[in-house]
Amino acid sequence: MPDIEPFSPRGMFHEGWTAEVNDYAIACGWALKGKQFIVGDVAGGLFAFEGDTGKIIWKKDNTHSGGLLAMAIHPEGEIFATSGQDGNVHICNCLQGKVIKTLDLGKGWVEHLKWSNDGLFLAIASSKKVYVFNETGEEKWISEDHPSTVSAVTWSNKNELATACYGRVTFFDIVNNKTNQKLEWQGSLVSMELSPDGDIVACGSQDNSVHFWRRSTGMDAEMTGYPGKPSHLSFDDSGKLLATSGSERITVWSFIGNGPEGTMPGELCHHTEPISSLAFSNKGMLVASGSRDGSVVASFLKKDGNGDPVGAAFAGDLVGEISWRPDDCALAAVNAKGVVNVWKFKVRTNLFSKGFK
Amino acid sequence: MSIKDKVPVTILTGFLGSGKTTLLNRILSEEHGKRIAVIENEYGEVGIDQGLVINADEEVFEMSNGCICCTVRGDLIRVLGNLMKRRDKFDYVLVETTGLADPGPVAQTFFMDEEISSEFTLDGIVTLVDAAHIDQQLGRSDESSEQVAFADVLVLNKTDLVSDDALNTLESRLRDMNRMTRIIRAENAKVPIETVLNLSAFDLDQILKRRPTFLEPEYPFEWTGVYDLDAGKYELMLEEGPDPEMSLVALVNQGESEEELKDGAESSVRLYAEKANTLEPGNTIPYGEHINLKLDDKGNKSFILNIEKLTKIGLFTQHTAEEFNMKVIKSEENKEIPFNTERFWQAEHEHDDEVGSIAIERFGDVDPEKLNTWMGRLLSEKGVDIFRTKGFISYSGNPRRIVFQGVHMLFTAQPDKEWGNEPRRNQLVFIGRNLNEKEMLEDFDKCLI
Repeated sequence: MPDIEPFSPRGMFHEGWTAEVNDYAIACGWALKGKQFIVGDVAGGLFAFEGDTGKIIWKKDNTHSGGLLAMAIHPEGEIFATSGQDGNVHICNCLQGKVIKTLDLGKGWVEHLKWSNDGLFLAIASSKKVYVFNETGEEKWISEDHPSTVSAVTWSNKNELATACYGRVTFFDIVNNKTNQKLEWQGSLVSMELSPDGDIVACGSQDNSVHFWRRSTGMDAEMTGYPGKPSHLSFDDSGKLLATSGSERITVWSFIGNGPEGTMPGELCHHTEPISSLAFSNKGMLVASGSRDGSVVASFLKKDGNGDPVGAAFAGDLVGEISWRPDDCALAAVNAKGVVNVWKFKVRTNLFSKGFK
Repeated sequence: MSIKDKVPVTILTGFLGSGKTTLLNRILSEEHGKRIAVIENEYGEVGIDQGLVINADEEVFEMSNGCICCTVRGDLIRVLGNLMKRRDKFDYVLVETTGLADPGPVAQTFFMDEEISSEFTLDGIVTLVDAAHIDQQLGRSDESSEQVAFADVLVLNKTDLVSDDALNTLESRLRDMNRMTRIIRAENAKVPIETVLNLSAFDLDQILKRRPTFLEPEYPFEWTGVYDLDAGKYELMLEEGPDPEMSLVALVNQGESEEELKDGAESSVRLYAEKANTLEPGNTIPYGEHINLKLDDKGNKSFILNIEKLTKIGLFTQHTAEEFNMKVIKSEENKEIPFNTERFWQAEHEHDDEVGSIAIERFGDVDPEKLNTWMGRLLSEKGVDIFRTKGFISYSGNPRRIVFQGVHMLFTAQPDKEWGNEPRRNQLVFIGRNLNEKEMLEDFDKCLI
């Protein structure tokens, strides 16, 4: 049958590698441009694997007494930071996992870490305070006490940091020590994402809603009706689609045209238990989701936020975190049993299938 | 995940100085084989090396809808969210609140947040009260009466500083406010560990086992004795007791079965509603009348009972026979005639506090739809004033009983054991402020099939 041409790959999970860490894996990320994959477990174990093969490169135990809470890999991928219940932040090199600098921030848990896009600054949230350090661990800025424990930090541009807590999002110019903007909303904000241009602020709230602000126009909107608190938010790289989830369903808001206000969001119903991790690919409209039921699904989305699954796999247990390799050609998931799964992912090509002639 | 797999959580409340820290230390230092994670809110030395102690600043988060029932403790959600990933390290959680905390948001956290409620289950709320100071505290602050109202267990602490009489009065005041609570007296917070942990406090069966009468209606009398008496003259003799007088109704032909006793009680309730005739010692007691025995003389006092022919006499007395060492004596032979049967009743008393309990007990099945509509309306209209709700229900057509519990307007229900041969019935308890018992009973009755 010479007239039949095979379909080009539409993005699927292909066999990659698996590995194990010592405890519940809560954080993971790609370093050294995808050559290395680093996993942190809840007990404070850190593990670096070869990105292609899963071969262990180095491991460290008990890096934080009381346990690990967060990990962030520098955008250049040469160094990374970890934080824990001991109130410490370690800045380490990726090649050997060696601690370059330890920052002691006192008694509180250090729950959030975020490198700025250019990698010059590291934002650290501990209790009601936010700190900014540079790559070498020098302190550059400290916030005043927030009204409650800081629940999220993210960078809106290279010098501007956004923080979320109960009742408000605040934008700080950390170089000139200025408060640029305060967005107030009486609600406990549990998650925050900014569109890549920094204009749209989206926060999941404890009262099962997502709140948006557009900084340029001052408009805001509240999207209600979630069955659970939307702890998981992810913008695509164009800033047009925002995937949100507080249950087993993923709700995707499209900012194209006048949306999302007054529009119907896209809905993805692929999992049987609530989503525990959600991430858009680095480029394009692929969103990957991991669930408490152990399933991992990648969906290809349309402009209206609806879409179809293009691949799925079982990670074995509650998915702690998922992470796309920088080139989007592999997807990793770590789980509550300490199992690491990395699948090769064939990205949809520009060549459309010709199908049957 | 079934309720058995979830980690039980005990909430420990109580005013500053009530002994929370002492109790906490006791729980943590005692050998009980449990690994307890403690979330505590007050700074201070908690001299323990065992267990997992986390300090968290109380963060009470109200929602934009302004509903107090949606208010949760943000710090608990964060801390428990983290603990949940270390379940191999502990098997019990104890949350200590600050002295002035309203227990509502703490308890609501275990209903409102899906992530938390999927992993943890509220086992019970333990409130410590300082026996010497609670009377004043109850008058001064809403928080203290709410802490009493929410409690599954009330530890009446520092009893060594208060007289027995005062303790009895206090206990009955607290009991009025919260009829489903278990009251434990303690000195220096010394209570058996099993009275505060693993209570399964939301299980009404447990409460009924401890206090079988707690769902019963209240009567204006505490005691009934049934006596077999031949024709002749008898004396009802009373010693000095707690009161200078006592109300009584004497009924002839009083049967001894539970049903006959309840019938007698109902007749007596009606008679008790009439004005009492006062009798001096030596007077004859009439039958089927509300009378009031004057007992203010010193020593023994006797009243006369005349019996024309063999009968069973039922005495429905305001206090128990024991309190006055009350005896029936056949005059000619000077011989004491013991009662054949006695029955204690849930005594009614003045309800001074705004906070109180309402119990509903009815045999039969309810219509699930009608019940849901009623409960939904009740909790949405009165949810702010209803602190706790618990009980079980017999849904028509469902072979299993439905158990439920709630905090303010939050509510969970789930199927429990099968009814089997047990008679199908419904038991509901509401603890709240200014609840209208009559209206709630009538509305519930409309849900019965």
